[in-house]
Amino acid sequence: MSLSRVGVYVCHCGTNIAANVDVARLAEFARSLPGAVLARDYPYMCSDRGQALIREDVSEQALDRVVVAACSPRMHEPTFRDAVRQAGLNPYMVEMANIREQCAWVHDDRARATEKATRLVASAVARAVLLEPLEERQVDVEPGVVVIGGGIAGLAATLTVAEAGYSAYLVERSGSLGGRVRELDRTYPTLDKVQVVLRELVSRVAAHPNVTILLRSSVTSVDGCVGDFTVEVKTRGANLGEGVDASRDSQTLVVGSVIVATGFDPFDPRRKPELGYGQYPSVITTLELEQRLAAGDLGDNGAAPRRVAFLQCVGSRDVQVGNPYCSRVCCMVVAKQARQLRGLMPDAEITVYYSDVRTFGKGAEEFYDETRAQGVLYRRASVSEIVRSQNRVRLVGEDTLLSRAIGVEVDLVVLATGMEAGADSASLSAMLRLQRSPDGFFLEAHPKLRPVDTATAGVYLAGCCQGPKGIADTIAHAKAAASSALIPLLRGSVQADAATAIVNPALCANCGLCVEECPYGAPALDPFRGVATVNALLCQGCGACAVVCPAKAISLQHATACQVLAQVDALMA
Amino acid sequence: MRTQPLVEQMELMGCIQCGRCTGGCPLARKTALNIRSLIYDMLVAPEMDVHAHQELWDCTCCFTCVERCPKDVRPAELIIALRGEMVESGRIPETVGAALMGVFRQGNPSGIAREDRSAWVGDGPQPKAAQEGCELLYFVGCSPSYDPRLQTVPRTLARVFSQAGTDFGTLGTEENCCGSEVQRMGEAGLFEMLVEENGELIRRTGASRLVTTSPHCYTALKNEYALGKVEVLHYTQLLADLLAHGQLAFDREVPRIVTYHDPCFLGKHNQIYEEPRAVLNAIPGLQLVEMDRNRERSLCCEGGGGRMWAEGTNPEERLSAQRVEEAAATGADVLAVACPFCLLTLEDAVKVAGLEDQLRVMDVAELVADALDLPVTNQIGAPLARSTGPEREC
Amino acid sequence: MSECQFDPTIIAFLCNWCTYTGADLAGTSRIQYPPNVRIIRLMCSGSVDPTYVLKALLDGADGVLIGGCHPGDCHYESGNYKARRRIIALKEILQAAGYDEDRIWVRWISASEGQRFADTVTQMTQAMRDKGPNPLRREWEV
Ligand SMILES: Cc1cc2nc3c(=O)[nH]c(=O)nc-3n(C[C@H](O)[C@H](O)[C@H](O)COP(=O)(O)OP(=O)(O)OC[C@H]3O[C@@H](n4cnc5c(N)ncnc54)[C@H](O)[C@@H]3O)c2cc1C
Ligand code: SF4
Ligand code: SF4
Ligand code: SF4
Ligand code: SF4
Ligand code: FES
Repeated sequence: MSLSRVGVYVCHCGTNIAANVDVARLAEFARSLPGAVLARDYPYMCSDRGQALIREDVSEQALDRVVVAACSPRMHEPTFRDAVRQAGLNPYMVEMANIREQCAWVHDDRARATEKATRLVASAVARAVLLEPLEERQVDVEPGVVVIGGGIAGLAATLTVAEAGYSAYLVERSGSLGGRVRELDRTYPTLDKVQVVLRELVSRVAAHPNVTILLRSSVTSVDGCVGDFTVEVKTRGANLGEGVDASRDSQTLVVGSVIVATGFDPFDPRRKPELGYGQYPSVITTLELEQRLAAGDLGDNGAAPRRVAFLQCVGSRDVQVGNPYCSRVCCMVVAKQARQLRGLMPDAEITVYYSDVRTFGKGAEEFYDETRAQGVLYRRASVSEIVRSQNRVRLVGEDTLLSRAIGVEVDLVVLATGMEAGADSASLSAMLRLQRSPDGFFLEAHPKLRPVDTATAGVYLAGCCQGPKGIADTIAHAKAAASSALIPLLRGSVQADAATAIVNPALCANCGLCVEECPYGAPALDPFRGVATVNALLCQGCGACAVVCPAKAISLQHATACQVLAQVDALMA
Repeated sequence: MRTQPLVEQMELMGCIQCGRCTGGCPLARKTALNIRSLIYDMLVAPEMDVHAHQELWDCTCCFTCVERCPKDVRPAELIIALRGEMVESGRIPETVGAALMGVFRQGNPSGIAREDRSAWVGDGPQPKAAQEGCELLYFVGCSPSYDPRLQTVPRTLARVFSQAGTDFGTLGTEENCCGSEVQRMGEAGLFEMLVEENGELIRRTGASRLVTTSPHCYTALKNEYALGKVEVLHYTQLLADLLAHGQLAFDREVPRIVTYHDPCFLGKHNQIYEEPRAVLNAIPGLQLVEMDRNRERSLCCEGGGGRMWAEGTNPEERLSAQRVEEAAATGADVLAVACPFCLLTLEDAVKVAGLEDQLRVMDVAELVADALDLPVTNQIGAPLARSTGPEREC
Repeated sequence: MSECQFDPTIIAFLCNWCTYTGADLAGTSRIQYPPNVRIIRLMCSGSVDPTYVLKALLDGADGVLIGGCHPGDCHYESGNYKARRRIIALKEILQAAGYDEDRIWVRWISASEGQRFADTVTQMTQAMRDKGPNPLRREWEV
């Protein structure tokens, strides 16, 4: 081990790290660590030049291990593994010290941040010395994609995959495609008839030879990993009567990637009882108005309302109902619907009650301007309650610009209800190992750099299941998800993680504790040899087995007890 | 007064100035009280003259604003804190000062002699002294103890509790004001003292459950006392529970059309909406009709937040009057309440409106007494003539 | 920070999928917290061997933090439950041996809870500061 030759690279990350950590001192310190033969600091280690530096040193200085003290390994570990691979080293001979997220960005005391960074680098070098090369496995990628959810996001993603020449399986829970968009009339900011656009998209998807559409279907389990997912789909029979076994139609799809496009649920305004929804027929939601507009029947029995009120932010930006976020579309939906009603009822008084108006996006502010110009009044008053007033209802609130309590009698109230995560998000997240952000929507791998990826390699997010979006953003997101999902398919094979459990047969007592502990059935007792063996294809690398093994025969490669304990020692030295 | 400390303590920076607090505030419709704009004032100005805002005494602590705020700002608690500033400076309405002094000296805001606290028992059976140990502690409360109109309620409840076979006791003349209104009038120091003294007294009884007459006592004891394992109940909850477990059953028909007014301190403060209705619905022959504004939208009767002792800046227009009109519009002949303050304010309003022949205000407990044919209805202690001013004895 | 004040060292074993990522988020959000914590990244809290924790304490760490995904969210289904079980057992043993088991904290912090991570470190640093140095450290030093 004393023979190991570690090269340490301290990254400035421009000034991101250098401003708060003394990188030169850190490199100097690293040179003194046992096993280290050189240490350098460099402005951007992830740049081509930075990576070339590593490659040159590996060949010229005969390095056999590399430590990069830089950003989070969750960001650039793959980059540096590639770099050493190109230099002829085993990619598992790299260790990173996270001195950006864990030092420079969170401790403004430069001396203490630097001191902590030295410990993290010492820990990384101590571990690097003990690293062992692992044999990389290539897994062939199944050339298909399962798309869960057939709304506008699922449709766009499916079409993109199909047009790239791969099989796409579109699994939709309901009996038809299009999701919420099926219920809409016209879209902002162009006031196009949405159904025309949707019909065209649906027919292109349906007609594509690479597409299989599974209606009335849901995914019941997902196994495997990127490149090789096994997806069970259950389909309810088309015309099953009561009492018929609904589970009989199930099938197994084997694909390389999965795209989740399960959309949103509209907020149920009954959870704001002060608004009287469900109690007064004249209080409806934007979705209901949308359906009425599409049907060409306002449901007013011909008695045109004289006064119409739109209430914004119902169930959004509201911690009382657990939805702290802005639903992003309702301001524009209201502007659109108010404009449509303006056209249909030139004599009515149409007022939008708001507390903030958020009309971002191309053409949106201009649309809002035009809506006001056409005589829709915006009043800064967030309505606090709705009560009955003979055969009308009265809005009760405060006009915050006048600082005056108001009570306004109206004939029709439209609640701009927001979006919520789908009701079955919890079960989907368990099935696909997806994380959810505090708002309940699925969490992307990185808020800026990886907006469609998830923590599970090979699973991508499209549309409103990741957070509220309008149609344009949904389609952009879906196409991005499809492109990312195509990457492994286009490559044809993916690197399977080699950091699996391994058994030292000389120590194994054949007790079977690891077999019990493993959630994936990877270890098994070999009846002939009397020892446990691990099926590397099944092992996911969680490391639970190693903890329970009384003989310490089974260990998780790349996270062995020796390696971890060496890190502890180095951190506490 | 510097605004910064309260801005931080009450997390006012969370306010988005939407106005749903003031919009929902029943007082904002009749007085200068505007908590939203007050918050804004405090956010933008480093100094504030709290005494220039006498309308702060208008707030009934109905908690509509708290219930409506989408950002969890808790505006009513800011009002209480601002009242605290005034209490600290000593410049407060005389009637408020007198009520606080009454609590300090005699353990009740009316300042009536402590020795008379058991007067409500009247000629009924003397309840057991909780100090000797009991399972259920009945906390009677100040107004029901002393006010002749309200005394029917504890008298009824005491009989119901024994009829249902509970092991209950009261603290007798040792019972003290719970401090609910004291806290809301901004006297945090006195409230803390009461919490300590009463808490000790209550724990020493060893009771596992505590039941209150008043939603105000309930709110304080349940949410602001740390009574540990003692389960705190409002009497409507206890009755609903006794009914559900068959320990109580009504046999006498009460053929009345009843509408129920949700007290703020039971509803908006504690989300107790269904139990009182369950009790009413269990009474044979009784028909329950709802007002348009019910549950979360119930209109405040203007009895809370110390308002029994502070008449506010607009005593002419009364919310109770509006409420009584709403009740009458349902066609009900009884307006049922479950709070002593509501009983007083709404009964007054019925008289002022001249609706006595049409609408009677009754406590749920009084209807229960009717349904059980108990001899403790309004006949005993016929309502006394009372003034409506702040010096009212209760 | 005044020099006379005791400055604890905390070793944190964090699962890659949740708490480690949460710590990264604290970083990208520039949420400041005390530099007393030193992190070791593991794939899952279920792979934290109690001997790692003991070793850290014997080496003189004043506190050990084990961070994993919220119940039900473990990337490997149940690693966090396994961790909880193991650490509870370890704490019971330590407690029986008269050792202050409150130097070991297990916390579920998700990838989106950067603030919660920072708060946890802040609280734990203060709690360990209040406790004073790990007695095992002194024994080792003599
Ligand atoms: C009232 C209203 C008006 C709007 N107007 C406009 C507008 O004018 N312009 C605009 O740009 N945007 C508008 N929007 C927004 C638009 O509706 C969304 O952008 C769009 O619906 C998002 O599409 P999606 O595919 O992500 O989700 P969804 O439309 O919700 O589709 C999700 C699909 O997935 C299916 N699904 C869910 N769970 C599962 C599961 N477990 N298994 C299988 N299938 C599943 C659902 O059945 C559904 O078909 C409006 C929204 C509302 C509420
Ligand atoms: S988009 Fe507009 S209406 Fe919808 S939540 Fe956001 S601010 Fe409120
Ligand atoms: S590391 Fe985890 S998945 Fe692999 S064999 Fe061990 S317990 Fe099973
Ligand atoms: S508690 Fe009631 S009266 Fe007081 S400010 Fe809030 S809404 Fe108004
Ligand atoms: S309701 Fe809440 S957020 Fe809105 S103005 Fe009032 S205090 Fe501010
Ligand atoms: S992966 Fe986070 S606890 Fe298991």
